[in-house]
Amino acid sequence: MQSISVLVQTDDIDYYGFCGFIREKKGRHPMIYFTELENLPAFDAKGEYLGRLVDLAINPSQSPLLVDTYIVKTPRKQLLAIAHKQISSISVRAAQTSVPAAELPLSTPDEGLIRIKKDVLDQQIIDVNDQKVVRVIDVDFDIQPNEKHTDLRIVAVNVGAAAAVRRLLQGWLQKHRIRRVTSMLPTKTIPWEFVNLIEPDAARRVKLRISYNQLAKLHPADLADILEELSRDEQRSVIEALDDETAAEAMSEIPARMQVALLNSLSAGRAADIIEEMAPDEAADVLQELPPETSAEVLANMEAEEADEVRELLGFEENTAGGLMTTDFIVAEESATVEAAIEALKNFSGSPELIHSVYLIGTNLILTGVVPLARLLVAEKDSPLRELSSDPIISVPFHADEKAVIATFHKYNLLTLPVLDDDDRLLGVVTADDALDLVVKGK
Amino acid sequence: MQTIMPDKTRLKRWRINLFIFLSVLGPGIITATVDNDAGGIYTYSVAGAHFGYSLLWSLVPITIALVVVQEMVARMGVVTGKGLADLIREEYGFRLTFVLMGILLLANLGNTISEFAGLASGMSVFGVSRFIAIPLGAALVWILVVKATYGVVEKVFLLACFFYVSYLISGFMAHPDWERAAIETAQPNLQLSADYLYILIGLVGTTIAPWMQFYLQSAVVEKGIKLKNYSYSRWDVILGCIITAIVAFFIVIACAATIFDSGPRLIQDAADAALALEPMAGRAAAALFAFGLCNASLFSACILPLATAYCICEGLGFESGINKRPHEAPTFYALYTGLIVLGALAVLILKESMQVPIILLSQVANGILLPFILIFMLRLCNREDLMGHYRNTKTFNVIAWSTCITMIVLTLLLLISTIFPKYMP
Repeated sequence: MQSISVLVQTDDIDYYGFCGFIREKKGRHPMIYFTELENLPAFDAKGEYLGRLVDLAINPSQSPLLVDTYIVKTPRKQLLAIAHKQISSISVRAAQTSVPAAELPLSTPDEGLIRIKKDVLDQQIIDVNDQKVVRVIDVDFDIQPNEKHTDLRIVAVNVGAAAAVRRLLQGWLQKHRIRRVTSMLPTKTIPWEFVNLIEPDAARRVKLRISYNQLAKLHPADLADILEELSRDEQRSVIEALDDETAAEAMSEIPARMQVALLNSLSAGRAADIIEEMAPDEAADVLQELPPETSAEVLANMEAEEADEVRELLGFEENTAGGLMTTDFIVAEESATVEAAIEALKNFSGSPELIHSVYLIGTNLILTGVVPLARLLVAEKDSPLRELSSDPIISVPFHADEKAVIATFHKYNLLTLPVLDDDDRLLGVVTADDALDLVVKGK
Repeated sequence: MQTIMPDKTRLKRWRINLFIFLSVLGPGIITATVDNDAGGIYTYSVAGAHFGYSLLWSLVPITIALVVVQEMVARMGVVTGKGLADLIREEYGFRLTFVLMGILLLANLGNTISEFAGLASGMSVFGVSRFIAIPLGAALVWILVVKATYGVVEKVFLLACFFYVSYLISGFMAHPDWERAAIETAQPNLQLSADYLYILIGLVGTTIAPWMQFYLQSAVVEKGIKLKNYSYSRWDVILGCIITAIVAFFIVIACAATIFDSGPRLIQDAADAALALEPMAGRAAAALFAFGLCNASLFSACILPLATAYCICEGLGFESGINKRPHEAPTFYALYTGLIVLGALAVLILKESMQVPIILLSQVANGILLPFILIFMLRLCNREDLMGHYRNTKTFNVIAWSTCITMIVLTLLLLISTIFPKYMP
């Protein structure tokens, strides 16, 4: 409670005690918005008018937060680059440099700089904390006076209603009036450390030190939501930067049409690497959507074993149990013991939802039993698996249609459902998450 | 053996091409179809009723202009993967985008009202009261978009596109003079009377509207069309524009063959045109014409609010999309629902004398918006960093700029004649 009331007070000082200069607050640096800095008049050491501030640039190889270069447009339309050490003071009224105009170099385009107006303002960024893609409306800075010069430090990007109104009124009302008006509106800021810029050009991304490491830590479903909001080039740049496994998990969660467009924009080799990491049933679904030539190219680039599994699945019709199943599952001989089954579990590399059951097969791969994981855990190590099998075995033939599969899951409260061929041989397993997807899609 | 091989590959290639074409088919055709909405049908009817076949030639240059403009938008969508509102925001900043989106909202509110008015008058031909037709229509539209799955929506939309065939049939039933229609289409026949020019400008204005550019580009992006397949998307656009022109052609000749040739040529709305068809072309033709009007109105009442909500949210950075829940994308749902509810209510509650100023205002808003959109589009389409190899060529630029300047001049003329009707007949 204490901290909240203090916050309100300092804000009050900011809004109502504001009279041209922003006062320094206790322990905090005064804040200034980009909308207030844009078009700020700049003066040289002799007090002569230089021009107007048009952009600020951060040099990530020097400091990730400090404004490194101030770009000023002279009345003769030249762009001057003023280094941060040459700024003696800066406020909502003016920027003052400590060098004469003649010593200031012309600004040259530099791919290694993050330009606030060009690269940040009005662009989409990823808010890694809220896991959302947002468009920047304004940028907040701290004014930090040092002994010899004054620095600006980037604090946050602003996306709230207050920032929107600031943009609308910018230049039309006096700055303190704008602050007064916007103080009544809700603000939403995203601290700069949570801001992930999106740069499709990989080389420039390296120069700007933009990494997507924070994205890799998100849940794949959240990452997929973010991907859906981005344009194709941006999606490609994110996927390219992620490791195969994270990319595969995120790719599995985005709509089929987007998967296809995205995979098409990647090289066949990289697409194969990612598809290899997907569960075989998902990989087959994706490949089915791709044009036949591309699909064949990707399969050719995959490891032989994974490619064979996927090829096998591609042979089944799409809306049947065969088309839904995965070939990643755990089988054991019906005569095996619990110990052997647990050993098989340890060596299983597929996704965790597939280890709900161990399937027992007899001669000719005929399914003879299903042992739920829970029973394995409480049983004696040397007991034969045959005795632990659920009875009766619930299964569907590979040609059963979607509705029958959903109905079976529903009726028997299943987590996994084995799929058999006409001779009762085990072909694959449908998992509950895929069945749920069907229910949601066909709502 | 060797002689058979090339044939086989050609067949295979042809199959693949067709497959790709069908998978990218859609955005251009749907946009162009929605273009023939209640307002469009009214304008075409008036053109046919007042001037017979003599305005038919204008459909050719209008279609070319439409193709030029839509092709650029589709190309930008495929190359950048971003919507037009996105690009304008990134290039021209927040304030301008905000103003443009405000005008677009106003323009499309008026358009939505005229769609519901079109539905009301179309249903009145069948003796259905607007107090039944409008609430039912509005509810149907809202539920279809918000509750139905993507697959269902796409099928319903394709069916709605197909129903435009009813205009073709009613055109045939009117027994037009085909020879004259063909000659008048091929032979430009510019009359310099004020009345004639007014309708000519109206035809241009109703065919090339600002919202279409936003919708088409977003739809192309949504569809995820690859650069490699861009040429198919171009065919989708061209085909769409030709379909628009064909539907317009049949509406004009149906009215030319019946109303212009015989009766009093006054029609107040598109439903009047349907009724006027009856004595000459028969009850079935009139019913088909009115059915086409209802279909077009409902279809456009569906797409317009949706496109508006998408575009505004995209430009101003709100969450959008029908795959999101209302609490996740509140602005999007508020805009979409608000436009439908206001549009329907305006037709139910307001007297006709009150509706007219709103629709006029929306035409003015459209007229103000179009020059901006066209110029922004052209500038964006020439940007090398954005479009790379796919930016406009010099030859294309000459065509595009002259098309856009002609469009702008005509739109401004329409604007003036809307604001100061005294100076126009």
